[in-house]
Amino acid sequence: MSFGAPYLTLPEFTYHKPKSLKEALQLLNEFRDEAKVMAGGVGLIAFMKERLLAPNHVIDIKDIPELKIIEYRKGEGLKIGATVTMSEIEKHDIVREKYVALHQAVKAGSDPIIKNRATLVGNICEAIPWVDGPVPLIAYNAELEIMSVDNVRRMPVSEFIKGPVEISLEPNEIVTSVYLPDLPPEAKSLFMKFNTGSEFALATLAAYVNDSKKPRDARLVYGAVSTKPVRAYEAEKIILTNKNISEAVILAAEKASKEIDVISDVLATEDYRRHLVKLLTINVLSRIFEVG
Amino acid sequence: MSFKYVGKPIPPQDGFLKVTGTATYTFDLELPGMLYAKLVTSTVPHARIKKIDVSRALGVPGVVRVVTGKEYPYRVGMYAGDRDLLAIDKVNWVGHPVAAVIAETLEAAEKAIDLVDVEYEELPAIFDPLEALKPDALLIHEKMEEYRHSPAFKPIPGTNIANKFTLVRGDVEKGFRESDVVLEEEFHISHVSHCYMEVQNVIAHYHLDGTVEIWTSWQNVAPVRQIMALSLGIPHNKIIVRIPYVGGGFGGKAGLGWEALVAILSKAAGHRPVKLVLSRKEQFSTAAVREGFHAFAKAGFKKDGTFNAYSVRFILDAGAYADYTVNVGRAVGYSADGCYEIPNINVESLTVYTNKIPTTALRGFGYPESHWVLEQIIDRAAKKLGIDPSEIRRKNLVKPGHSHTCTGERLREDAGDPQKVLKTLVDEIGWGKPSENPPEPWKVRAKGLSLFVKGPAQPPNAAASAILKFNEDASIDLLIATGNFGQGTVTALMQIVAEEFGLPLEKVRVDYVRDTHKSAYTWQTVGSRGLFTDGIAILKAIEDAKNQIFTVASEVLRCPKDQLELVDGEVRVKGKPWEKIPLQDIVMGYTYPNGNSIGGPVIGRGVFMSTHTTYLDPDTGQGNPTIFHTFGGTAVELELDLLTGEINILKAVEVLDLGKVINPLLVKQQTHGGLIMGTSISLYEEIKFDERGWVVNPNFTSYYLVRIKDLPREVVARYIETPQLDGPYGARGIGELTMIGVAPAIANAIYNSIGVKLDRLPMNPEYVWRALREQRPDLVEEAWKRFSKYEKIVEVTI
Amino acid sequence: MGRWITLTVNGSKRRVEVKDNEILLDVLRDKLKVKSVKAACWRGECGLCSILLNGKLVKSCLVLAVEVDGSEILTVEGLARDGELAPIQRSFIEHGALQCGFCTPAFVLASHKLLEENPSASEDEIKESLSGIVCRCGTYYEIIEAIKDASKHYQVRKKV
Repeated sequence: MSFGAPYLTLPEFTYHKPKSLKEALQLLNEFRDEAKVMAGGVGLIAFMKERLLAPNHVIDIKDIPELKIIEYRKGEGLKIGATVTMSEIEKHDIVREKYVALHQAVKAGSDPIIKNRATLVGNICEAIPWVDGPVPLIAYNAELEIMSVDNVRRMPVSEFIKGPVEISLEPNEIVTSVYLPDLPPEAKSLFMKFNTGSEFALATLAAYVNDSKKPRDARLVYGAVSTKPVRAYEAEKIILTNKNISEAVILAAEKASKEIDVISDVLATEDYRRHLVKLLTINVLSRIFEVG
Repeated sequence: MSFKYVGKPIPPQDGFLKVTGTATYTFDLELPGMLYAKLVTSTVPHARIKKIDVSRALGVPGVVRVVTGKEYPYRVGMYAGDRDLLAIDKVNWVGHPVAAVIAETLEAAEKAIDLVDVEYEELPAIFDPLEALKPDALLIHEKMEEYRHSPAFKPIPGTNIANKFTLVRGDVEKGFRESDVVLEEEFHISHVSHCYMEVQNVIAHYHLDGTVEIWTSWQNVAPVRQIMALSLGIPHNKIIVRIPYVGGGFGGKAGLGWEALVAILSKAAGHRPVKLVLSRKEQFSTAAVREGFHAFAKAGFKKDGTFNAYSVRFILDAGAYADYTVNVGRAVGYSADGCYEIPNINVESLTVYTNKIPTTALRGFGYPESHWVLEQIIDRAAKKLGIDPSEIRRKNLVKPGHSHTCTGERLREDAGDPQKVLKTLVDEIGWGKPSENPPEPWKVRAKGLSLFVKGPAQPPNAAASAILKFNEDASIDLLIATGNFGQGTVTALMQIVAEEFGLPLEKVRVDYVRDTHKSAYTWQTVGSRGLFTDGIAILKAIEDAKNQIFTVASEVLRCPKDQLELVDGEVRVKGKPWEKIPLQDIVMGYTYPNGNSIGGPVIGRGVFMSTHTTYLDPDTGQGNPTIFHTFGGTAVELELDLLTGEINILKAVEVLDLGKVINPLLVKQQTHGGLIMGTSISLYEEIKFDERGWVVNPNFTSYYLVRIKDLPREVVARYIETPQLDGPYGARGIGELTMIGVAPAIANAIYNSIGVKLDRLPMNPEYVWRALREQRPDLVEEAWKRFSKYEKIVEVTI
Repeated sequence: MGRWITLTVNGSKRRVEVKDNEILLDVLRDKLKVKSVKAACWRGECGLCSILLNGKLVKSCLVLAVEVDGSEILTVEGLARDGELAPIQRSFIEHGALQCGFCTPAFVLASHKLLEENPSASEDEIKESLSGIVCRCGTYYEIIEAIKDASKHYQVRKKV
């Protein structure tokens, strides 16, 4: 035993590079707990170096054509395959124009070199509390498509992430895509993060409102403040029930900073995070409602 | 006087190799038959080792040997001599190496470290140096009296004090009684890591005949050899230390390294070469970092602003081993007075052991620490007295030629022009001119000043030398040991040689490998001394070579030596330029038409030896500790977000009195680099420990370094050239200086504008936010109102 | 136990035997002796191991060697053509955009790639594109100047 995990090399495993989804699912079905699926590899390889993971089999899904797809269909929404990289998402026109919070989260998420390999689905599956990817997805009510040899299921991202590095995935399942519902033309969404003096965020917020003039549906999702992204339901209600939105923004910010679960960790204390939640909320909502 | 090379913006002479990826670092080297070592490190902060079982590790295919501390119980070090190669019977911090695995591949070694079973009997651990100083504190070093320490230091066996430095000048109590205003303040600094990009790594080959070859990523060859010779008992000429390009040092690759350990591992592994490469995690938990620090200061001023008395106690959190930090503690102590004349001063600086990561110097060598305290004291006093911070500085600044420093050294007449530094600084930052209002009304803009002075922290007899050797075509090989880890010193030294001989720069070559066997001796390249000390040695070597050349030429040209001059690669008779000999006809000896020859190969030698430095008196700290003083100052204009605590530097100004700028391009680059590193350390960097003594942020994700997107918006560098008459072309050192003033200038800006005291580093957003809430709740309240109040009321349909 | 993979490294075809758990960074440095590719963190934070993999910048410490069989790799050793430095390399030297030099290969390569794609990159774009690489010596201002100055050569090149 040594302090930390000072390794530069990886533990041993067998590498597989299936050419089809079917082949990948069969391999996974065979090896189950012994295997890990690799998309961009950014998280997996780092985790293996830290010896947080030591699978006997690594199944690389980069050669599977259907997982490389990013496409938007009117009325249906946006589908992002498991191996679509952050760089590809960031450059995608529909993402930039329509799914603004996602675009901003991806843009701010990491450096451009990492983004050439990192994937959004990988980002979700890592379930590191500080990462940005899942936060806007939860605000959009996005769902994951999850497959195994004999099953296909869908699950909201919000339910999929259970806690730090803990996800709702059976050993024989692969997350194949993430689906973002289509948004009404008036919808507005924004993402903001506070990470001055830190690589990881101390607090993030993704907000979604169906219509800033007639809000009927509002979601406030906070990342990096707790063990997983959290929603501020009471604060959302304030926005939907208050005619004077300038006032509602402040009240919602106060509420959000009190109602959600917030933790202290190596990056920041609970106090400071609650304060940042308040500031982020005012910043984001006043931009959405143009009250600033 | 106009020069061809000196004072010109010559690009770095090793640039070509670096941009093509062909510059070779120790990291890139492999030797035939080389093995890989990996350290097993302690998981507990303080414990007796009951048992180490290596049998499982030896079963890993490819593992050659596992070595433990008991087998090689050497004590090593340069100053305190307190370090073990591997823990002998006790571990003293989390990360302390207890064993080393040697294997055919790194992969096998890494596998095997998990299989070394160590049984510990845990002891209570001490994490705070103030706890360590209590009379009943457990001893971390039980046998301190057995350590072989340098005479410059005063360890106190039976305590946790690795060095006690005391300085007394004047009568400080009387000084306080006679002061009109007395302040008492406390300051703190967190541990920081050097974060040089090339990790510490070493190759050692302990040959069967007893010769040891070392390749290492270190700043200097000589101390590596000296430490190995003294601690392992190997004769100096049987140790060959080689250092190729080095990926950054910042003081963290001076002092004690891993060379002695890896040499022993090579011996233990059947005399095969062994390479040890630290991981970044080990850089944060096992290699030495900059110490933490508490300071308790009391300062007395007269109504007119005269700094009358200063009493300060520095407590350095040196961690488990303090081999080099004892000298940092000494430098913190004797630099306590900065660039001010303080008639009555008492300093106590204690370097204290704790059960944390060992520590060492970092760019500035104690001066950033002493100035963090002093420069803030000055501003706090100024506010109390109602005097402008620039005015109180002007009033108390030392006067070269008249003033004495706190060690009693009379400042030389040509030490520099601190008043001009201050004036330039004040002009460039627009002192007294209020900042523009920030666009967001919950932010404030502010300006702050800080002055500094520094000389190299070194033993009084720290020498340097140079050998200059001509080749057949009158090109020159300069054999120097000047450390080359990014500073630009070597380019500047090459400029001097080309200038002096009137040769094109391309004719001067300095090999990239420093080598105890082939390079001339230099004590160390640390403390911003390289250009000064090695420059002087080179100038003497040039003089020596010229004398040899002129002796021959005078015979050939039948002309007295003093009538000869060197121009454009020729020896000419002054006033008769047609009477000449090309240099290449002389440098290997001159041959007459009939074959008779005179002279011989020209080899110049020169030394630098300081003539006036002394040890400091052990009771009063009086003496002459250093060879030059560089004066400088930093000013910043910043924007502070009252709601988040974020500090954004809008403009940073750095002024330095360098005596002579040998290379304006590279001096500017050093200045920018220091400002950036200073900003990073001031605002963000901190090694964090949990209650078990574990480092919890041993990587660049949770230990933040300033990146290209976080730069101060504008930087201004200004140089003053008050020549130091015995310096090379009048030059003084610069490397570390550029960083010292950043932190106090930032803190002073905030204190001056809103009265909030920032006592600890780093001044990260959360810390500043807390300080703002505690000290100025009214301001925060007002900012909050401005932020949350919108004139535009927007109504929505519900 | 290993597998043979084929890589085109700086224009030359190389076959090399690798184990499944070998990192591309290590294969490049230790087996193919491409030593310009450095490492300082081994986990994607410092950017010193950046290479161009099939035309895209990636951090090679987070890539398995087996996954890139058949790929083309460009490192800073491959930038100079016919004994001529690439304009960005010359510019780095002239502007003193290097100190210890350990991060220089990564910065040169990333800057070259940036200018090839966007020869008129703004200062903000330069900063954004290089935000994943660390220079502890703090040579950032000089690097920005070097890129701005070299951009004219890439603009011409793009026109041609």
